[in-house]
Amino acid sequence: MDRSLSHPPTSSQAVCVWIPLFGLRCEAARRPELASQPGALLAPDASRRVVWQVSPLARQVGVRPGMTVSQAIGLCPALVLCEPDPVHYDERFAQLLAALARVSPVVEPAELGMAYVGTDGLEGLYGGPEGIVEAIKCGVRNEMSAECGMRSAEFDVRPSMPHAELNTPHSAFRTPHFRVGWGKGKFVAWVAATRAKPGGAFIVPPGEEGVFLASQPVAVLPLDSDAHRRLRLLGLRTLGRLAALPEEAIVSQFGRAGRRWWRLAAGATADPVVGRVLPEPISASLTFFTPVADREMLVLALERLIERALRHPRRTGWRVQAVRARAELEHAASWLAAATLKDPSADRDHIAAPLKTRLAQVPPAGAVERLVVEFTAFAPGTTELQLFARDAGAAARAGRLRALRSAVQEITLRLKRPMLHHIIAVQPWSRLPERRYALIDFEP
Amino acid sequence: MRNGTDRLRALNVPQRVEVELDANGLPIGMQDAGSGIRRSVEAIGEVWRIDDEWWRQPISRRCIEVIFDGGGRVVLFEDLTTGEWWMQKP
Repeated sequence: MDRSLSHPPTSSQAVCVWIPLFGLRCEAARRPELASQPGALLAPDASRRVVWQVSPLARQVGVRPGMTVSQAIGLCPALVLCEPDPVHYDERFAQLLAALARVSPVVEPAELGMAYVGTDGLEGLYGGPEGIVEAIKCGVRNEMSAECGMRSAEFDVRPSMPHAELNTPHSAFRTPHFRVGWGKGKFVAWVAATRAKPGGAFIVPPGEEGVFLASQPVAVLPLDSDAHRRLRLLGLRTLGRLAALPEEAIVSQFGRAGRRWWRLAAGATADPVVGRVLPEPISASLTFFTPVADREMLVLALERLIERALRHPRRTGWRVQAVRARAELEHAASWLAAATLKDPSADRDHIAAPLKTRLAQVPPAGAVERLVVEFTAFAPGTTELQLFARDAGAAARAGRLRALRSAVQEITLRLKRPMLHHIIAVQPWSRLPERRYALIDFEP
Repeated sequence: MRNGTDRLRALNVPQRVEVELDANGLPIGMQDAGSGIRRSVEAIGEVWRIDDEWWRQPISRRCIEVIFDGGGRVVLFEDLTTGEWWMQKP
């Protein structure tokens, strides 16, 4: 077993690379007219057509994320609405991650348009924090200008340019849009990135995390709107005010989440960047002779593709943790459904379930020309959980079934009775709870 | 060699308890018949009735969802054929 897969690399020093409105910026790179017109991107996964990302020009006239299309058009009749193309954004983001991985081996994607880079030990290559940050900015700049087809001049970093000049809606959408923050732990790096100017970087020197965080607004914490409101009502507007209170007082008000906020605000916790395990994805695809819109047919195709991908030799001994299905639709549109399985599995139905749910809730906007299933992350098939997974085939191929059988026999011999059981459904529909499920001896 | 049914062990089997009732016939306290631990009832939830298997050994239960003082939600039910009280997880 490759040990690196079970122990991903980590780094306590972190750089946060943040590209706000990533999807909309990808669209702007393809559609130059968006730079001079108010534009908005529709949400990819909402049952109602709502606005997801809004350009600065559209925001200026009152369009906000979450508005329905009719509300947005009512406020801004000239609004250019873009259908989302999640596959395209995902590919662009994957390329950005690859560019970051050329600077550091420890890269952790956080969300579309935001990633953390671990910088422990990079001083020897790039010098101090300034050098590391510059190398990362250079990587991002090159990647975005090359991949998005934008003029590199648009990504030039112009730290001497007065902020007011950058702030006009037009230029704000065209100037370098990534922000970089450097600090100890992911939270400090993220807050630093939010404080950086577009195209610039904000460095929090080691030891100054507390001073830096103290002046930041509580809104940088991972709060829901209710908690934010309650903190405001309590007069706690900065992290410094929050951290000045006793930890237990915050815990008594907000529970476990409060403890986390207090520790983040006080700089008492520094989550390290956890590098991605880089599995080689397994994919299976199917091109339809004629575009297919029938959902039943798509479900069937999805199941067949999952089966085919599961049979791939590289999958043997591994359970699937992350899966995604992408479809190429008529008229160059696309559809994407991704799922991370709570319990990694090698069972077709288990893997297909979240994708089928997504297919039912947010079906493709048009007929599907090509369907692709990809397994993008795996969990080792050698842990105890694997023994109980419905993956006897893979386990048997890996030669572990025999070992399992002898282990069970040994446990039974030593303890004089079977101690390993399955839970099976007997009469799950029964009105009598004791009739629904039962334990049965586990015999591999 | 055991057969399949021998190897099955039902889950969530009810436990025998002694129940103290108020004037309306609702539990106010409970004592586990095995461990002897006594717990008082803080709140009553839903009340329902189960009548089943009338074609062989009839089952008739009056079920009451209760929350104990100090936490814990269980279902107490009265076996209406024997008058005994039992406790079960919801």
